[in-house]
Amino acid sequence: MIHQLVIAAITIVFGIGAAAFYFYGSNWLLDTMLPVRSGRPDAARNTRLTGLIRPWLFLGPAILALGLYLVYPVFASVWLSFHGRDGKEFVGFSNYIWLFNDAGFRESIFNNFLWLLVVPAASTFLGLVAAALTDRIKWGNFAKSLIFMPMAISFVGASVIWKFVYDYRAAGQDQIGILNAIVTYFGGTPEAWITLPFWNNFFLMVILVWIQTGFAMVILSAALRGIPEETIEAAVLDGANGLQIFFRIMVPQIWGTIAVVWTTITITVLKVFDIVLAMTNGQWNTNVLANLMFDWMFRGGGDFGRGATIAIVIMILVFPIMVWNIRNARREMEGR
Amino acid sequence: MLGLGNKRAPLAWAVHLSVLVFVVLWTLPTAGLLVTSLRDKDAISVSGWWTALTSSTQNAVMRTPDGAAEKQVGDKYVIAGNVLDGGSGTVSAFGRSSLKPGAFPAGQSADLGDGVTLTVKANGDYELAGTKPLDGGQRIFYTAKTPPHFTLDNYSKVLFSAGMLRSFVNSMTVAVPSTAIPILIAAYAAFALAWMQFPGRSLLIAAVVGLLVVPLQMSLIPLLTIYNKIGQALGVDAHTYIGIWLAHTGFGLPLAIYLLRNYMVGLPREIIESARVDGATDFQIFTRIILPLSFPALASFAIFQFLWTWNDLLVALVFLGPQDDKLVMTGRLVNLLGSHGGDWEILAASAFISIAVPLCVFFALQKYLVRGLLAGSVK
Amino acid sequence: MKISLLAGAAALALNASAGVAQDLKFKPGVGAQFHWDSYTKFAADHANLKGQTLTIFGPWRGEDQTLFESVLAYYEAATGVKVNYSSSENYEQQIVIDTQAGSPPNIAILPQPGLIQDLASKGFVQPLPADTKQWLLDNYAAGQSWVDLSTFKGKDGKAAVMAFPFKIDVKSLVWYSPGNFKDAGYKIPQTQEELLALTKQIVKDGGTPWCIGLGSGGATGWPATDWVENYLLLQQPPQVYDGWVDNSIKFNDPRVVDAIKAFGQYALNDKYVSGGRAAVATTDFRDSPKGLFTSPPKCYMHKQASFIPSFFPDGTKLGTDADFFYFPPYASKPELGKPVEGAGTLAFITKDNPAADAFMDFLKTPIASEVWMAQSSFLTPLKTVNVDAYANDTMKKEGKILLDATTFRFDGSDLMPGKIGAGAFWTGMVDYVGGKSAEDVATGIQKAWDGLK
Repeated sequence: MIHQLVIAAITIVFGIGAAAFYFYGSNWLLDTMLPVRSGRPDAARNTRLTGLIRPWLFLGPAILALGLYLVYPVFASVWLSFHGRDGKEFVGFSNYIWLFNDAGFRESIFNNFLWLLVVPAASTFLGLVAAALTDRIKWGNFAKSLIFMPMAISFVGASVIWKFVYDYRAAGQDQIGILNAIVTYFGGTPEAWITLPFWNNFFLMVILVWIQTGFAMVILSAALRGIPEETIEAAVLDGANGLQIFFRIMVPQIWGTIAVVWTTITITVLKVFDIVLAMTNGQWNTNVLANLMFDWMFRGGGDFGRGATIAIVIMILVFPIMVWNIRNARREMEGR
Repeated sequence: MLGLGNKRAPLAWAVHLSVLVFVVLWTLPTAGLLVTSLRDKDAISVSGWWTALTSSTQNAVMRTPDGAAEKQVGDKYVIAGNVLDGGSGTVSAFGRSSLKPGAFPAGQSADLGDGVTLTVKANGDYELAGTKPLDGGQRIFYTAKTPPHFTLDNYSKVLFSAGMLRSFVNSMTVAVPSTAIPILIAAYAAFALAWMQFPGRSLLIAAVVGLLVVPLQMSLIPLLTIYNKIGQALGVDAHTYIGIWLAHTGFGLPLAIYLLRNYMVGLPREIIESARVDGATDFQIFTRIILPLSFPALASFAIFQFLWTWNDLLVALVFLGPQDDKLVMTGRLVNLLGSHGGDWEILAASAFISIAVPLCVFFALQKYLVRGLLAGSVK
Repeated sequence: MKISLLAGAAALALNASAGVAQDLKFKPGVGAQFHWDSYTKFAADHANLKGQTLTIFGPWRGEDQTLFESVLAYYEAATGVKVNYSSSENYEQQIVIDTQAGSPPNIAILPQPGLIQDLASKGFVQPLPADTKQWLLDNYAAGQSWVDLSTFKGKDGKAAVMAFPFKIDVKSLVWYSPGNFKDAGYKIPQTQEELLALTKQIVKDGGTPWCIGLGSGGATGWPATDWVENYLLLQQPPQVYDGWVDNSIKFNDPRVVDAIKAFGQYALNDKYVSGGRAAVATTDFRDSPKGLFTSPPKCYMHKQASFIPSFFPDGTKLGTDADFFYFPPYASKPELGKPVEGAGTLAFITKDNPAADAFMDFLKTPIASEVWMAQSSFLTPLKTVNVDAYANDTMKKEGKILLDATTFRFDGSDLMPGKIGAGAFWTGMVDYVGGKSAEDVATGIQKAWDGLK
C-alpha cells in the first residue's frame, strides 16, 4: 500500500510538474531566443515576433487537447452519421431520415425543450436568490455549503436520494417516499410520481435544479461580491429598498455572469443523461436526447451511425446558444 | 460585509427565514439518505426514513429454534426465549397464524389446541409449552414497539470491503492531476483569449464555446481507438493514468477556458495597461497580476472539475479499464452492489463516503475563495 | 458479531491484494460429491501453460465475483495461468467499447445472446472447436436447445457454435412462504387453471395473491418480459417462441398478444397485486419479494428467477421460510410438456490464446460446475455433475427442473436485438401496465423492430 501511495504521489507530481514545466520553459526559451531588452538593435523586431508567437505558446496545449479530445471526435461523428451500424458501409442520409420519423426521437426532443426552458431558468434564478440572501447573513457560508452539497454527490448517489423522495407505495401502506408521506399526511392519495405522463419530466428536472443551484450560487455570489460597494451605498442613500437595489442595481451589473451561468447550465442540460438513465431510463415518456444517444451507441451491441446522428442533432440544437455567446463576446471586445 | 443586512434590520428576519427554508429544502433529501445509511437493511424498504427517529410499531415474525432447544419442566415440554432477541422494545400483541398475527394481547396465554399453549410477555419473553414433545421452528407473529435503532454496519461493510483503500488512492491519482492540469492549461489559454491580440482570436473563442456542447460519450470510441493504437505502437497497456488525465483535461477544458476567460475579461483594464507601460511581459502580467486576481474563478473551477472527475465513472472505466488494481472509488462502489445491484443500505452508505472527499475539498477551497475575493475587491 | 465482521473484512482485504490466486475453497481429493478425477485429468492435459495470462471479462460483481473467482482458483492451480478477472456495472457497454476499440479480453462472459450475436456478426467472436456441438448434445439435458442457443452467425454469415453456456438461472419459478400457505390451507397449484383458481380463492379470503414489481432503474420493465415469455412457452409450441424471438412471427401476432394478456390477467387486476396495478411498475423488483415475508403477508406468491433469494430479508431460510414451485403448464395443453424458461451466461473467446482454449475445456469439466454448485446460486444442465454437490435442497430442486426439462428456452428478451429486448419490450410492458392495450403495445414494439432494419 505504501508502495502504491508513493507511486501515486510521484505520478501526481510528475503530471502536474510536466504541465507547469511546459509553460515556464517555453516562455523562458522564447525570452532567451528573442530578447526584448531595450537598447538592443533587434528589440523592435523581437517584440513584434514574441507578440506573434507568445499567444500560441499560451494556447498551444489547449488547442492540442481540444483538437484531439473534442474536435476530432466531432468529425468522426459526422463521418459516422453517414455510415451504418458498425461504421463501415456508407448509407447516405438514411440515418437522418430514420431519425426524423422516429417517435422516440420526437418525444426526446420535446422533452429536451422542456428541460431547456425550465432547468437553466430555475437554477439560475434560485442560485441568484440564494447567493443574494446568503451574502447578507453571518451563517451564509454555512448555508452556502449546504446548498452546494448536492453538487458533490455522484449521479448514482443522487438517484438513490431521490428514490426516497419519489417512492410510491399503494394507499394504506407505509410510504417510504417523503413526498407521498407528506401528501398522505394532508389527506391526499399517493401518486407514482415518476410515472405521471408529462409531469414526471418536471420531477426529474427538480433533481437537476437541486444539483445545479449550488453551481449557480457559487459563481453568482462571487460576481455579487465584486460589485463596487459605492453603487449600492449610493442607492441606499437614495432610499431604495432591498428588492429595488437587488433588481435595479445589482442584477444589471452582473448580467454577464448570469448569462455565463445560464449558458453553462443549458449545456449541462443538453448533455444530461445520468439522471434520466438512473431514474427512468427514458420510460414513461421521459427520454431525452443524450440518453437516446447513449442508448443507440452502446446498448444491445450499439449502432454507431444512429448514435452519432443524434449527437449531431444535439450539437445543432446548441448552435443558437453558440451564436448568441459569440456575439456577446464580440460586443465585449468592441466595447473596449 | 456588505453591511446591507445590518442597515435594513427589519428585513433581516425575513432573510434568515428564507435562507433557512432554502437550506432545509436542499438538505432534506440528503438528510434522508444519511438517516437511511444508518438504518438496518430490512427496515429501509419497510418504513420511511423519518420514522427512524421515533419509536416505531412493527409487525414481525420470528421462528422458534428447532426441537433441540426443548426442555422438560416437570411433565411439560417447553421451548422458551425472547422474540425481540435481546433487543429493547415492548410487545403489545402476538399470534400464531399469518391470518391473525395480532390475535392475542401480550401476557395472555394462547391455547393452540392439542394441549399446547403459547405465552408472549410484554418484554418479549415467550414460552411454548405442551404435554407432548413439541415441533421446533414454529412461527410466532408479534406486534412490538421498538425504540429508534441505528447501526454503523452499512459503513463498515463498505469501508472495509476489499480494495476500498486502493480505490481511494486510485481516485486521488486520477482526480488531482485531472483537476490541476486543465486549470493550468486553461488559465494560460483564457488569458491569451482575453488580453492578447492576435489573428484568429474571435474564431478560437467561438470554437471553445462550440466545443462546450460536444457530448463526451461520443468521443469515447474514436479516442479509445487512438489510445489502443498508441499503446500497441509503444508496446504498453493503453490504460494509463496519463491517458485519463489528458482525457479529463480535454473534456474539462472548454468549460474551464470559457469560465476563466469570462472572468479575466472583467478584470480592470487599467491594471494590465499600466503593467504593460511599466515594461512587464505578458508572462509576468499573467503570473503576477492575472493569476492572483483570478483566484476566485480558478478555485470555483477547481471545485467543479474535481467533483466531476471524482464522481465520474464512465471515463474512468473506458480509459483506465475495469481491472481490479485500477478501479476508482465510483467503480468500486458500483461493484459492491453485486451482480443484480440495488442494496439501498450499501448505496446510501457508499454515497455518503463518496461525498466526503468532495465536501472536504469544497470547505478547504472555500476559505481561499473568500481570500481571493477580498484580494480582488482591493482593486 | 461486529468483531467477526471486521476480521472477515480484513481477511477479504488481504485476499484481494493477493489477486485472484486464493486458496482453493475445497481441498482437491476431499469430498465424494466432487469429481476430482476430472480436475486431475484437466491439470495433466494442460500442464504446459505455466506463466501465461488470461483476461476474463464477465457480468459478476460483488458476491458473485467472489464465487466465480473461487472457481477460477482451480483453473489457475491446475494450469499455472494467471487470470485477471474484471467486471463493470455497465458491462454491456464496456464490452462493446472494448471490442470496437481493439482491446478485448481473452474471454468474455455475457448473459445476453442477442449481444453476443451482435459482436459475432461484427467478427469479434471466435468459433469454438467443431466438436463442441456434439459435446453439448451429449452432455447437456435438452441438448439441442443449448446447441441452438450457442450457435451464432459470424461476419461471413456462417453459423457455428461460438459460445459455451455456463451457469444457468431457472425463470419458471413461483416463490411462496410455506408457513403462510399452511396457515391459509392453500395447496401448490399443479396447472395454470389451478393457479388462477388459487388466485381467486386468496382474494375471496381477503388476501392479496401476488407481489409484482417491475422497477429496476434503467432496466425497469424487464420482470414483465419474463412473464410474457413464460406464458408464450406454456401456450404455444416452442417453434412459435423461436419465431417470435427472430421476428419471423411478428410481435403483434395474436398468439403473442395473448401471452401479454395472460400476464395482464394478474398484473392489471387491482385486487390481484399488492399495492394495485399502479404499484406494479414502480415497485423495485428487489423490494417486491419482501411482501411475502411481512406480517401479515402483503402477498402470497411471487414469480421470479432462481437468483431472487439474495433479495429476501436477512435470515430467511430457504425450504422453511421460503420455497418455490414450478410455474405450471396448462392442463388443457398436455402436448406442450414441461417447458422451462431460463437465462444464464455464455462464455466466448474474443481474443484467442492457448490459455483461453484451455479455459473453455475447463468449463466442460464437472468440477468447474461443482465448486460453484457447492457454494450458492449456481445451476447447470450438465448431466455429468454430481447433483449431491448442490449446497442445499432448494438448489437441488431447481437443478432438477433443468435436468427434467423437455424444452428449455432462453429468456427471449435477451435473444432479441438489444434495442428490442432491452429497450422497446421493457418500455412496452411498462406502458401496458400503465393502461395501454396489449395490441397497441405489441404493435408499437413491432414498429420499433421494423425500424431496426
